Amino acid sequence: MTREEAHRFGRARHLVGIAGVPEGVRGETGVIVLNAGLVHRIGPFRLHVELTRQLNAAGYPTLRFDLSTLGDSAASGGQQTRTQQVCADLDDAMKLLGERAGCERFVLVGLCSGAQNAHMVAATDARVSGAVFLDGYAFRTLGYKLRHYLPRMVDPGRWARRLMRGAGNGSTAAVPKAAPQPVFAVAPAPREEVIADFTGMVERGMKLYLVYSGGISNYFNHARQFRECFGKVMSHPAVTTRYAAETDHTYILTGDRARLLDGIGGWLSHNFPPANAGRHP
Amino acid sequence: MRQDAEVPFFFGPDAALFGMYHAPAVPARRAVLMCPPLGQDLIRCHRLYRQLAQSLAEQGLAVLRFDYHGTGDSAGGSADVDWERCVADATVAAAELRRRSGADRLVAFGARLGGSVALAAAEQARFSEVIAWDPVLEGEAYVGELDAMQAALREDASRFNQPRSHSDVAEQWLGFDIGETLRGQLLALRVAPASVPTLVLDSLPDAAGARWDRIVSRRGKVATIAPPTPWADLERLETAILSHPLIQAVTGRLKEVA
Repeated sequence: MTREEAHRFGRARHLVGIAGVPEGVRGETGVIVLNAGLVHRIGPFRLHVELTRQLNAAGYPTLRFDLSTLGDSAASGGQQTRTQQVCADLDDAMKLLGERAGCERFVLVGLCSGAQNAHMVAATDARVSGAVFLDGYAFRTLGYKLRHYLPRMVDPGRWARRLMRGAGNGSTAAVPKAAPQPVFAVAPAPREEVIADFTGMVERGMKLYLVYSGGISNYFNHARQFRECFGKVMSHPAVTTRYAAETDHTYILTGDRARLLDGIGGWLSHNFPPANAGRHP
Repeated sequence: MRQDAEVPFFFGPDAALFGMYHAPAVPARRAVLMCPPLGQDLIRCHRLYRQLAQSLAEQGLAVLRFDYHGTGDSAGGSADVDWERCVADATVAAAELRRRSGADRLVAFGARLGGSVALAAAEQARFSEVIAWDPVLEGEAYVGELDAMQAALREDASRFNQPRSHSDVAEQWLGFDIGETLRGQLLALRVAPASVPTLVLDSLPDAAGARWDRIVSRRGKVATIAPPTPWADLERLETAILSHPLIQAVTGRLKEVA
């Protein structure tokens, strides 16, 4: 059995979150789930609720919460940069889960901007011993461009359609497809910096799980691209990668979501086996 | 803003319902229960509900936002959402709001199916008024709309690299598992007029005032809100719904009848 607790917490009591504490569990690795984009703590299509409850059932204490100014959380009132604010919010979150469940080490889970925020904290906070980055940092590599453009260049049908359009209306300009609303986005960061961060994380013993989806095909399109983007650190035994080409960015289909949750659960139990595993059906 | 004026908590049988209580600065004589919509509309409206709750609390009203069983932070899986239980949960939430605020006079607000829940629960929960924003009155048409969007989602090229199989998208509506019970309940849904004054806020794209006649009583009224709200636009499925005119309309109405 797990009880879920609603908390207002943080240095300015400005944060709101739901802690899931499995009965009888003390000192396990705590899992903290960060906001994805502007969606409040329940996550896209309730992804974070399903994830935290599944992990509670496996014996992990969890916290899904809203960062400053997102969801139900307010601003802290201090004069901090967004980076300082995110780090301080995560510090508050780790302290809360430490108090409620005795956790001393933590795994951060983030999708999109959540992955970016998790990355930022994981790179600097020694309490973070693992991270799950869902559609986090990525870069268009030469391989990406070849996989993206080459099939289009050698597709005779595509050329024929292009010529037909030109002959038909006297214009060669294609009608652009309506772009979806930019709700989710990962701000770019220098590639060398990201590689150095990943290297530092694994050197200090962190375990990483990178899951990228077909929903970011405008900059990521193959499992090989993890290595193309970040180099040899992706082959380190502490790093697990998965490319789910068929899924969208926010896991709108429940089957895709279930496979993601099973993947995260399996990775956690392999890397952070709970002492009380199996006690929490 | 006083942070401690917004209190997150669990309540109801087995403490299984999540609520967020917005306490006014001074004891309230009236309170507002905010009934959320279901499915993706709940997520899209979350910020707007919070903004509206804060505005109403500043106006001296006690406000409770909550999640039905199987939605938001409340217990239960998405496939367990049950219409009758949503209506019952609204009644439980109304009792909780009366207990916390000390106010007996309760106004209910709800968007889309949240408005429908508020209307359906009006008598049992003893609401003094219902403010319903684009409520769903005929479930069959609404189910048809969701089915059509789900079918379009299957081959949405802005979301998937390849169209998905029919089985991949079956028994779901826009990100959520749908049980047979809820589908059947919504197909049969025909919201009856509430026995209390009802204000309908209409922002449906193809506005036609006549459609509300059936539920607006002699003492009720319909007000149009512009611009139209894109409830059923697949391309904006994950875009928050924000509306300053809606907040003005609700806060204005509650000032009017203070």
